[in-house]
Amino acid sequence: MSEVEVHADARPGRGRLRDSLATAAEHLRRITARVETQGRGVGSATIWRPDGWIATNAHVAHRPVSVVLDDGRRFGARVVRRSPDWDLAAIKIDADGLPSARIGDSDVLAVGELLLAAGYPFGLSSAVTAGIVHAIGRREASTPLRWIQADLRLAPGNSGGPVANARGEVIGINAMIAGGLALAIPSRLVERFLRSVWTEPPWTRA
Amino acid sequence: MDTLSSLSNDLADAVAAAARAVVTVNARRRIPSTGVHWRPGIVVTAEHTVRIDDEITVGRPDGRSVPATLGGRDPSTDLAVLIVQDADFPVAALAEPVSLKVGHMVLALGHGPRASCGVVSALGGRWRTGRGGEIDQLIHVDLVLYPGFSGGPLVDTAGRIVGINTSGLSRHLPLAIPASTVTRLGEELIKKGHVPRGYLGVGFHPVRLPATLAHSLGIVGEVGLVVVNLQPDGPAARAGLLLGDILVAVEGAPVRDAGDVQALLGPERVGRPVRASIVRAGALIEVTITVGERPRPGR
Repeated sequence: MSEVEVHADARPGRGRLRDSLATAAEHLRRITARVETQGRGVGSATIWRPDGWIATNAHVAHRPVSVVLDDGRRFGARVVRRSPDWDLAAIKIDADGLPSARIGDSDVLAVGELLLAAGYPFGLSSAVTAGIVHAIGRREASTPLRWIQADLRLAPGNSGGPVANARGEVIGINAMIAGGLALAIPSRLVERFLRSVWTEPPWTRA
Repeated sequence: MDTLSSLSNDLADAVAAAARAVVTVNARRRIPSTGVHWRPGIVVTAEHTVRIDDEITVGRPDGRSVPATLGGRDPSTDLAVLIVQDADFPVAALAEPVSLKVGHMVLALGHGPRASCGVVSALGGRWRTGRGGEIDQLIHVDLVLYPGFSGGPLVDTAGRIVGINTSGLSRHLPLAIPASTVTRLGEELIKKGHVPRGYLGVGFHPVRLPATLAHSLGIVGEVGLVVVNLQPDGPAARAGLLLGDILVAVEGAPVRDAGDVQALLGPERVGRPVRASIVRAGALIEVTITVGERPRPGR
């Protein structure tokens, strides 16, 4: 190996990939929350808005839940709506100014595109995994995407956590592992679900 | 642009570029496999995924399904070639054979396209598969070969094809057959329908040569291969070899194990003479054996 390669980091451009990966991972961790449910174990969730709106899977959000943020703060949370059909749930905590997801467009993904996911696999400390878009399982370009198929190593506990593109924009939330593939619910569907929660009052149901 | 975004774009572009030559191979029940349009009208795939000989179809990248015929198969390297009539779509752009390094990011493609990403985990030299096929370079990859990915391309970050992936040659780690081997064997398969293997019709067992004997005969090596089995009317028997003969050199080069002899029995040697140095009854003699073609089982 040549001298130049030994001191690779001294070369212009080297180290930038490492730094941008670390930056993206750090951002993703901060918008990932840990969801604890009584007797049902631990899952993950994605902070969708700074004012305390959090998205996760219906199979994660069994009432009552508490939410632990990346900075260690713990909140009692209200599960505002659960949709087992979509496997989505909207959670609200009383907080503001939270680090929240920048939402990307899940309809413009390309196979091979880089993805980062964050969550609490096996309920352990927060973990980030990297992979790529595995396939666009859509028959026609006009139909909305139902699942993002990702070549990502996930574990139980990752459910509800964010999947982001290389720009750090959240394009989905993890929902399932099938045949070694990660299946995520596209951000467009999450957005649509949350909008329905916000526009169909009252979300404070008895 | 941000480094991460530019890497992401490179990966997506690599998939899109390589996928133009990637096809679906329908040659078995249930899960279709993947193939690569190697040169005009010729699709390469993994031999173990071709389970039917008739009514094979190939799904082009544009979604059209076209009939294909089996051009040839070589179970020993897990390669098969299919001949496709309507092949007016791009062929594979191949990477330089020397360009691969351990740690390089690579993609495996399945029909669709579907993709899987990982790194080159190990590289080795020329190797021989369990079934005797000779492969130019050992390429181990750390990525997931999803069902149906066998026969698909291993692609570098520039979208060039490095080899053909298969789960059929190793039970543990996914392997790629390098592009140079695919090209070399592909030609043989198109010409002959199979890859001929050189064959002598002889079984050896290594033995240590007595130092005094080796010295008196001027033999360099310390080891010889004693003939323990001789195929009646095989190439070696026809050349006059006898049970108990000790092979000490082939083409003037000392032999240490049966692999040294195997290495001289590539497809190109079939029908050509090899010079064998033999110790018989305490004397060194030279025998010329015409390499035969190994009979193929079940044919």
